Amino acid sequence: MLRYALRRVLWAIPTLLGTSLILFLVTTLAPDPTPAAPSADAPSADDALAEEARRARFLDLPRFLNTNPQDVRSRALDAVAHVASGDARHEEAARELQQLGGAALPYVLPRLEALPPDERRRVAVALVPLAVRMELSGAQELTRPEAAVLFWTRFWDDRALDFAPAAVSRAVARLVEHGSQLRESELVSMDTFALGEVVHQMTVTDDRVALERLTRIARHATERGPALAPDASAAEARRVVANWQEWWFVHAPDFVRLDGAARVVAVVTETRYGKWLKRAVSGELGVSATDGEPIAEKLRSRAPITFLVCVLAVLSSWSLAVPIGAFGAWRQGRAFDVASSALLFFLYATPTFAVAEVLRRATGGSFALGPRLALAVGALAAASLATLSRWQRAAMLDVVSRDFVRTAKAKGVPAWRVATVHALRNALTPVVTLAGLHLPTVVGGAFVVEEVFSLPGLGFETLRAIEARDNAWLMAIVLVSAAAVTFGLVLSDVICGALDPRVREVLLRRQGGLDG
Amino acid sequence: MNEPPREPDASVAIELSRRKNEGLRTSLVEARRVAAPYLTMTRIAVAKLGASRLARVGAVLLACLALTAIFADLLASDLPVACRWRGVAYVLPNVTRPPALAGETCSRMRATRAAGDWILEPLVAFGPAQTGGDGEILVPPLAKGHPLGTDALGRDLFARVVHGARTALSVGLGASMLLVAIGVALGALAGFSGGLIDGLVSRTIEALTAIPTLVLILVVGALVPQPTTATLLWTIALTRWTELARLVRGEVLTALAQDYVTAARALGASPVRVLWRHVLPNAIAPAIVAMAFGVSSVIVLEAAVDFLRVGSPDSMASWGEAMGEARSHGDAWWLVVFPGFALLTALLASSLVGEAARDALDPRLRTELV
Repeated sequence: MLRYALRRVLWAIPTLLGTSLILFLVTTLAPDPTPAAPSADAPSADDALAEEARRARFLDLPRFLNTNPQDVRSRALDAVAHVASGDARHEEAARELQQLGGAALPYVLPRLEALPPDERRRVAVALVPLAVRMELSGAQELTRPEAAVLFWTRFWDDRALDFAPAAVSRAVARLVEHGSQLRESELVSMDTFALGEVVHQMTVTDDRVALERLTRIARHATERGPALAPDASAAEARRVVANWQEWWFVHAPDFVRLDGAARVVAVVTETRYGKWLKRAVSGELGVSATDGEPIAEKLRSRAPITFLVCVLAVLSSWSLAVPIGAFGAWRQGRAFDVASSALLFFLYATPTFAVAEVLRRATGGSFALGPRLALAVGALAAASLATLSRWQRAAMLDVVSRDFVRTAKAKGVPAWRVATVHALRNALTPVVTLAGLHLPTVVGGAFVVEEVFSLPGLGFETLRAIEARDNAWLMAIVLVSAAAVTFGLVLSDVICGALDPRVREVLLRRQGGLDG
Repeated sequence: MNEPPREPDASVAIELSRRKNEGLRTSLVEARRVAAPYLTMTRIAVAKLGASRLARVGAVLLACLALTAIFADLLASDLPVACRWRGVAYVLPNVTRPPALAGETCSRMRATRAAGDWILEPLVAFGPAQTGGDGEILVPPLAKGHPLGTDALGRDLFARVVHGARTALSVGLGASMLLVAIGVALGALAGFSGGLIDGLVSRTIEALTAIPTLVLILVVGALVPQPTTATLLWTIALTRWTELARLVRGEVLTALAQDYVTAARALGASPVRVLWRHVLPNAIAPAIVAMAFGVSSVIVLEAAVDFLRVGSPDSMASWGEAMGEARSHGDAWWLVVFPGFALLTALLASSLVGEAARDALDPRLRTELV
């Protein structure tokens, strides 16, 4: 039994991957925020915003395979080449160098020596604003190119050892433990080289003062993003950290070196699909466009209501549908069967939203949360009740005409025992499978009843997100509902296997297709 | 004495099936007429379908809805059915929309009629998208010339319901035809070719099954820049083909193991011929049943999406949209009752037909496709 259950769970993995692929293709439907005419010579604020929006959706990356993943080294060397040659793109490249900041220094400074004097000077001058940002002593007086070259050569002689991952994590740990102005300026002088560790510590530490310092350092190095104010609330702090995490997730390749194995892995991970999947799996689903709250947080606060509605509806409709359907089939053609069949057929044809709307009007609508929840469950259960009990009746009819039922009756087994032990047990298995397949409908129905009864669950929030075009939430919600349904399908199969050993055997033998 | 050997008699089979299936009221005479002299699957199915009273009721209801949809412009329109206006005669101007009558409505034409002009108005002289003035908003039924009242924009509800039939049936039929085409093609391909293709199609089916269609439609509608009815149609078709494909694949696999397929192959039939002549006909029954049930499930989805007010933004009349409007207007009961009635009729009718088709064609599908 355990082997069967494990096997079934493993089978869900390719399904989930397939689902993720489909959902990823759906994301490509969203319009691409490219500026109408990208103007190279005069980059406006709009262009920068659009570029940022493109990056946030990884549109700058290839879709499935990145044959040449970019990292800080390749970006820095590329920018240095442009600056050094002083070609048409040299201003843009100088800006790029500043953006890459301290993280680029270990690749730029050692190469200064090898450059011809002219080019060396140009690169050194392009780096001067960076020295100012890093608050290095003497940076303000660097007006002559020769002085700049000398400055950077000396800087690298002195500080090369500090630009190592171990040194950074030591420095950040010291700052968090006993923060002081000195420690802070130490990190400021490492600039973007320390970003990865800084952002990581933000998520780990729960010390408010340290958090303030960390966000300040990150803001200083990147010249963007929120810094935590001393009087900010806890929710505010969470939002700030989420913002930094999100930014780091998108921009990390600008500041991190990829080599060896990391470079091989990056061929797959540094792609649109790879990034999207990584984000989905890690549970960091981005930040809501409407209020800047982390999506994961929002999901956690909304999901219980939807979950409750779905589970209660499934349980209540099941507990009614099984006896109604089974009894109807047992007494086929009698008054109960005819009446319940007619009523259920009517209910079966009635859409969930109509049931919900009629219920809401009939009861007057506006109550406290509790009764509204009960009504929503009722409306949702009514729809599933019809489907499930019709399945149950059909399955039971099939079993009742089998020989072993007649044999049991002929042997004198009491009628109730034949009905429950012989017939119903065999009639339950197909219905359990079908009930699993019915789950997507239940989830969709839950969205509708939440909206009708204003229950602040996932569906209610989704409809608000549609109005606000909050794409991050929309993608997250499809992903979460698909994952939930997959889980439900696995569960129904496992229950099925528990009821019927034949099902277990089929799965354990199965090699490829959908069945046997 | 020289009676020729009797051919297989349809009446016997039908009578047997009648005894087994109390619900079927088959008259022997009728069955002989329909099914003699040989029994084929089609003949049995037609006989059974004709014998089912519920199927007849459903078919009649569906036909009424179809007629309403086709002749919606005669029942409710803002322009006349025929008229002579300023010396020019127009036939069906409400369909052809001549530029000379742009901006006119029945009521204005009636008021500004010159000598020699005549107009033949439709049953209700309001179009589905025609909005009314202040006095026309949320008019209750049977007042001011609106038999079913008006909605919050002053649009005539009768016109919305009648033209809504057109939306519902066209989306329903269109999407089900698409999904049947996709489902049969992919299901047959998977079953027939096996191996990698089968694995791929099967995984796709499993993956798609896990995504709640309603949620996906809502999200796709929000993600595409300009959602239209076609977006809705394609989204439904591209996600709902899986059930049918699963069934067709099963049928194809069963058929491939049969002796007649082996025989056909042994006689040198090409794979295409084997598929087309000997295997695919087995998929007809599930396809027809899926089509019938597909119509009702697509109509429900379309109505639910419109009910949640994210459907087609163009002013297409839709039952779900009218019912959704009722949510913010608590006392306008007519906005729920009349579109709801039309919706329920359509769903009951197509479910009845689907049910009867399933029983007639393939009772095995009973537990697989409801």
